[in-house]
Amino acid sequence: MPAGSTRTPVVQLENVSVYFTKKKLLGPQATVKAVDGASIQVGRGEIVGLVGESGSGKTTLGRAAIGLQKPTGGKVLFSKEEGQVDIGTLKGRSWRQMRSHLQIIFQDPFSSIDPNMRVFDVLRIPLLARGVKDRRKVEGMVSDVFGRVGLPTDVLSSFVFQLSGGQRQRVSIARVLLLDPEFIVADEAVSMLDVSLKGDILKIMKTIASDLHVGILFITHEMAVARVISDRIAVMYLGNVVEMGSADQVVGHPLHPYTQALLQASPTIDPSLREVLRTVNVKGEIPSSSAHPSGCKFHPRCPFAMDKCTDNVPELKEIEEGHLVSCWLY
Amino acid sequence: MMLSVEDLRVYFSSPRGDVKALDGVDLQVSEGEVVGLAGESGCGKSTLSLAISRLIYPPGRIESGKILFQGNDILKMGPNEFRAGYRWKKIAMIFQGSMNGFTPVFTIGEQIEEVLEIHQYAGDFASRTKDLMKMVELDPVIAERYPHELSGGQKQRAFIAMALAVDPPFLIADEPTTALDVVTQVNIMNLLKRLRKEKGISILIITHDLALLSEIVDRAYILYAGRMAELGTAEQIFKEPKHPYTQGLIGSIPTLQSTKIEGIAGFMPDLANLPPGCKFAQRCPYAMQVCGKEEPLLKETKEGQRVACWLY
Repeated sequence: MPAGSTRTPVVQLENVSVYFTKKKLLGPQATVKAVDGASIQVGRGEIVGLVGESGSGKTTLGRAAIGLQKPTGGKVLFSKEEGQVDIGTLKGRSWRQMRSHLQIIFQDPFSSIDPNMRVFDVLRIPLLARGVKDRRKVEGMVSDVFGRVGLPTDVLSSFVFQLSGGQRQRVSIARVLLLDPEFIVADEAVSMLDVSLKGDILKIMKTIASDLHVGILFITHEMAVARVISDRIAVMYLGNVVEMGSADQVVGHPLHPYTQALLQASPTIDPSLREVLRTVNVKGEIPSSSAHPSGCKFHPRCPFAMDKCTDNVPELKEIEEGHLVSCWLY
Repeated sequence: MMLSVEDLRVYFSSPRGDVKALDGVDLQVSEGEVVGLAGESGCGKSTLSLAISRLIYPPGRIESGKILFQGNDILKMGPNEFRAGYRWKKIAMIFQGSMNGFTPVFTIGEQIEEVLEIHQYAGDFASRTKDLMKMVELDPVIAERYPHELSGGQKQRAFIAMALAVDPPFLIADEPTTALDVVTQVNIMNLLKRLRKEKGISILIITHDLALLSEIVDRAYILYAGRMAELGTAEQIFKEPKHPYTQGLIGSIPTLQSTKIEGIAGFMPDLANLPPGCKFAQRCPYAMQVCGKEEPLLKETKEGQRVACWLY
């Protein structure tokens, strides 16, 4: 089991795969294995950081976790008080009711909100879809979440295009919170923001998880960001989770050579590095997701690759309590 | 002195009045020096790189100031003089997302050779292209490929090769690694470090990523709301920052060593409607009465370090 969390799970992904088939005019069809049998669970009030390079499948996994992308294999289970439901089997009204609990915050606040709408409308319309029509009630709910995301209520009458990137991202968090979510996927939610604003948004996300008991899957390519915000970290490579554990375990005691390389590549504030070239213990670049290497998918780039790695796929094994890795070194 | 920007003001006209993207900015780059320019988005840092490349077009305008390149004011030159003698020949640029600057219908090699042709390179084009590819650690075979066949990191390297085609003494790198993966990012930074060491090229790096900057620059400038907040050597800026804004910026960089989350509260003021006094006062934890009234000027606090703040 991809355990490691002691909390009650809100969303469980079991052996999820997402394959895309590219239709070509001539020649054979190509299958892109964006996610290839990944299991992750997120508990209530827990933040799980999902880290990997672009092309590792982290965004596709995030989309599958909230039902935006239908998995081609495996199950996505959402836990309600009444019990677990497989969100892939839901249809019609029951799906619509469910989906307001499963929300996503996108990377780019400049393209995820219509710039020509007034802020109040951006927030009011999703509520309308849920049947909240009373304007006074809407205003009450909005001012409540605005306090949480640190926006003054006087921006409500502004147009979205008048807002800065940091303010827009706060609006998109507010929009999500109004729908009473139980699970949020934050897909590179702070990557586009300036350092000075990043901290604030990360703080907001952290209090949302702890105060509202919302589970958050926090997708990022920055190890340092994952480190400060996450309770647990999962590292993805070419569609698979290759290492998972508490933030301290993964950052303090990384097991997989890929995790080690990502950590070596993380920038640090150090003017003394000026004269030295930094070494990262990994070869080449991430291969295309339509041509996965055999065996351990990381072996062509791995500095420790052995004969075994070329043909045999390593299983995700628990090395210490809650710390899992899929690598033949262990 | 390679480059000296003196009291530069660049304004953009808008219905709300002039947006003062740069309002009296000085910046120097010596020969062989790597200088960093950092600040939040909207602080004017890209405007400065565009001004040095003479790429400010209406509604933008250079209100006043000088940009001396090797002693000659490039703002006084005619467009043809600048294009023929300076742009790409002496001042090369890598812009944010410039890896998408290749046209998809020609091979990388053809595009590099076009640069050589336009700038009347004397030697053999094919062997020069091969040398350039080797210099940026790319297999020369890649010159025969089309841009879509390359990964993001390879394209960025190829673009750097193109920028260095006619051996410019000065390179502007505006967000050279944004949108690249961390591992690729380290490789590009290593490449820039090597170029500076082997070719003695001067580089102005513009980025919002201070951690990245700290690993390569000799000196750094911190820009806020179109004005310099602080400047100094890398050690001074990153180890003993004086301006509360610089301190806040450095404190808010997430690092692997800390689990604390910091940030600077509030937002940058509207550049078309700037408050009186220090532009950072509204967000500053140490703001005093004088800060809201009078604007602080850059003062030397240590040799090489200058800060615009009433605390000093």
